[in-house]
Amino acid sequence: MRIDESHRPWAIASITILAIAVIGFVPYAVFHPAGARGNTLPGLVYGISGYGMMLYAALMGARKKRPVWRLGRAQTWMRGHIWMGALSLPMILLHSAFTARGPLTIVLMTLLVITVLSGITGALLQHFLPKRLTASVPMETIYEQIPEVRGQLCQEADEIVEKMCLAPDSEAAGLHTASGLQAGAVVHAAAAHHGAGSAHAVAEAEHAPDLTDDQRANMRHVYNSSILPYLKNPDSPRSPLASAVKAKSFFEALRRQLPLSVQEPVNDLESICEEERQLTVQRRRYLLLHSWLLVHVPLSITLLVLGGIHAFVAMNY
Amino acid sequence: MKTIELTIDDKQVIVDAGTSVFDAARMNGINIPVLCHAHNERPVGVCRVCTVDCGDKVLQASCVRPAENGMKVFTANEKVKKHRRMVLELLMSDHPSPCARQRASGDCELEVQAAAEGIVTPRFSKRVSPRGQDESSLVISVDHEACILCDRCIRGCDEIRQNHVLGRRGKGYNAGISFDLNRPMGNSSCVSCGECMVSCPTGALTNKSVIRTVLPGGDPVDVEELKTLPFFQKVSGTFLELNKNAVIKRRFKPGEVICREGDYGSTAFYILEGKVEIFLASVSSKKAEAESAPSLIQMFSSVFSPKKKPAGTRGASGNIPIDAVIDLTLDNPVAELGTGDIFGEMTCMSLYPRSATVRAKTECVTLEMLRNVLDVIQRNKTLRAEIEKNYRKRALEDHLRTVPLFSSLSPEFVEQLAQKVELIRYSRGEVLFRQGEANTNFFLVRIGFVKLVEEHAGGELVLAYQGKGGYFGEIGLILGNSYRLTATALDNVEVVRIGAEAFHDMLQRFPEIAANLRGVAEMREQSNKRHTAAVSAISLENFLNQGLMEANSLLVIDLDKCTRCDQCVKACADAHDGVTRLVREGLRFDKYLVPTSCRHCRDPLCMIGCPVGSIRRRNSLETVIEDWCVGCGLCARNCPFGNITMHDVPGTGSQKAVVTKKKATACDLCADLPEPSCVYACPHDAAKRVDPNQFFKNVIGAGIAESVWLGSGDHGSAHGLDTHGSPR
Repeated sequence: MRIDESHRPWAIASITILAIAVIGFVPYAVFHPAGARGNTLPGLVYGISGYGMMLYAALMGARKKRPVWRLGRAQTWMRGHIWMGALSLPMILLHSAFTARGPLTIVLMTLLVITVLSGITGALLQHFLPKRLTASVPMETIYEQIPEVRGQLCQEADEIVEKMCLAPDSEAAGLHTASGLQAGAVVHAAAAHHGAGSAHAVAEAEHAPDLTDDQRANMRHVYNSSILPYLKNPDSPRSPLASAVKAKSFFEALRRQLPLSVQEPVNDLESICEEERQLTVQRRRYLLLHSWLLVHVPLSITLLVLGGIHAFVAMNY
Repeated sequence: MKTIELTIDDKQVIVDAGTSVFDAARMNGINIPVLCHAHNERPVGVCRVCTVDCGDKVLQASCVRPAENGMKVFTANEKVKKHRRMVLELLMSDHPSPCARQRASGDCELEVQAAAEGIVTPRFSKRVSPRGQDESSLVISVDHEACILCDRCIRGCDEIRQNHVLGRRGKGYNAGISFDLNRPMGNSSCVSCGECMVSCPTGALTNKSVIRTVLPGGDPVDVEELKTLPFFQKVSGTFLELNKNAVIKRRFKPGEVICREGDYGSTAFYILEGKVEIFLASVSSKKAEAESAPSLIQMFSSVFSPKKKPAGTRGASGNIPIDAVIDLTLDNPVAELGTGDIFGEMTCMSLYPRSATVRAKTECVTLEMLRNVLDVIQRNKTLRAEIEKNYRKRALEDHLRTVPLFSSLSPEFVEQLAQKVELIRYSRGEVLFRQGEANTNFFLVRIGFVKLVEEHAGGELVLAYQGKGGYFGEIGLILGNSYRLTATALDNVEVVRIGAEAFHDMLQRFPEIAANLRGVAEMREQSNKRHTAAVSAISLENFLNQGLMEANSLLVIDLDKCTRCDQCVKACADAHDGVTRLVREGLRFDKYLVPTSCRHCRDPLCMIGCPVGSIRRRNSLETVIEDWCVGCGLCARNCPFGNITMHDVPGTGSQKAVVTKKKATACDLCADLPEPSCVYACPHDAAKRVDPNQFFKNVIGAGIAESVWLGSGDHGSAHGLDTHGSPR
């Protein structure tokens, strides 16, 4: 959601309502015999308006549960939610004449401020973060699919290293070729999904590369001690592969140790790690983009319930 | 091609070398009975019913015997007749007469041929080991007793549909057809496409009448009635039984519009009685309309009544209102058709919108048929050739008359020109011409998209693409001698090719067109030079590689606005009984995600070959999959973008229109609702349905998208869309 020129009518309407409310408040506060209080007629008008705005803002959640119902475009609801929700705070402040009398009203006022602030935080996050997410995660996937994709990447990396370290003797090669065909199919499927240069892995699967025993052992060691742990736990900041700069040097060093014939599989491993890093970024940004709702939604519900109780108590007792 | 001359039943015939004796006879109106050979399948010569006397030591199966120069063939001499009768008698001895097909539609090919030979009771005894029946499939009934082992079903399954489910089992008396490794049909990998049933000449594979096609607005027609018409005589009765209501009878009063230019449709019409007139949108009226600004009153009234006129209403000014910017004049019909003619077939064949408006001239009775029926009719080579000839003639004339470039050509010249030009088809990736080759032709695009690239030592640079109504090849013809660019077909393309001689003749006779084309040629030459240096060429290449130009209505998600809340997906699922037709994953173009959702392509490959005609366009843009889908999955395999998914149908309750295991689903733009639910439910203004050629014109280069002409036959593409994400 970008707060852009499409919000102008809502912004103008909100500012106008606020201006009218403030202009009306001054003579009311100065000339009303009882002073500005919530239980006076003007005070009640401010209170009902503010609570009505909160209710409207809260209905957005209900509207989302029924996305197909033709109750007005969701964008309109969202703009209304943002502007009416924000406007409810000054309206309630005017209702209370900037004072909180009694514990319930103090709680209510605190809840309202936190709710509105969390909402503003959410709006700002949703304004700025999507663009950054788009730019920094070109290999973005559906959030719920991240564990699945990570599993596939891990499997793909296993297969690549397995092929790289294939023993050249005929018996072993024969054995590996049989499993290699299966692996090739898996890798191919993954390649179809992500297109991360994995086709090379399939091609490599058919030929045992020219690595010495030492190079093979070293490759396995590097994979098991650095790459695999990172792929298994990509959120760990301690791994050198968690940083793009360090990962680049890491793979440069690895490439220098290996012959030219296995550069492509190493490139594939590098792109797998790059995709893992992007998925980590995606996961973090996604959580940031939505986690504020964990504060905003429960507080909003509590606020509405307590607000209702406050109104009932104030009107009856 | 080399031709040969032979004699068939004392008639001299000339055919292309390599033609079979059967085809040579067929093309010359001589009918040879056959059982195992269908026109659309590879001949195998197993039934021996089509044997003929070619003067060889033994009789030959004409379907597999190539014709030879000087050959003398007898298709019905005594020797042949005796042999054929014996074969039929042997086949009938094992055949449960009347079989299921004979009982249902009276067209069991074996029984009809046996009856023609006067075989009532065969002299030979029946087999003693029964082969049994298989009723396990929900859609198809298998009677192995009625099978004559002609293998037509196996070839249909393998070669036509490429499902590879059917094969042979056993030997000798135990030989029969089998599904997978001899599993019951209902437990096999059969997708119930019905091809085997349509191919079967007897009652071995018959339908269980579970497909309930609903083609609205007409009366049902009996299969027996259809079989009396020459057009339907070669169509399998089982197919017609299977697709009951895929052919309906419709009556029209004089003056009533039967189909409208620009409408999307999926049906063809066969005139049973009466006459109809054909109208084409006149280019001059289109231009005049486009140039006239709306009056103040029109603008004012459009604010309060923005809705379009309902389709089908007649205008008050003697015009036929069509779904376009102009109305057709009623004064100038371009053709008249009568009993026995067909129309509307071009839409079925090209999958593009209707190219003409057809109006009843007198009281009219027509048969309206779905595309799949026309497909099956075209399996007969003779009828196919006839339909194809008609198609080419109409396509050429229609295109030359409606393309704006030729608006100043006189009708007489258009008629003359139509004789000199060719309609040529290219498939995806085929090169029309290469840069540097001698420029000998001018091309007008009728269907599809052509990519124009400049080749360099280091690769190629995409400079433009041309869609329907676009033209190219004029630069070399006017300004030089060779093609300046390489033209490649991006999909299935149909072009009208005008040779250099006819082109120059046209320029000489119509200076207005000459001046126009010269201006365009010079402008393009300069534009190409400018574009060579522009970065947008890379975007254009991506645009074309992703096939975005094909889309009539593309769902895009602005990733700078999208918060990944998935409201679009939830809305889609909510609108379609919990099965989403949108997956929020796909390729990116610019800052937009192109998610997995139907693009409603201009050239909808998904519709090709649907055995029951259930994936189609009604009269509007949306590609819909009707309830009578049998779940064969062909459309899903054909869709190049993976936008059609197969989903399980739980249960086999009687409410289901078709009892199958799976069904295909694709976005239908929420046809019953005023706006697609995904767009309506997006709270962030991120999801939009757009015409990509317009929406991305700033990204791919403003001048390029304009070359995609949304002409009279294509105006439906913009229906319901705008570039600001406010469909309809």
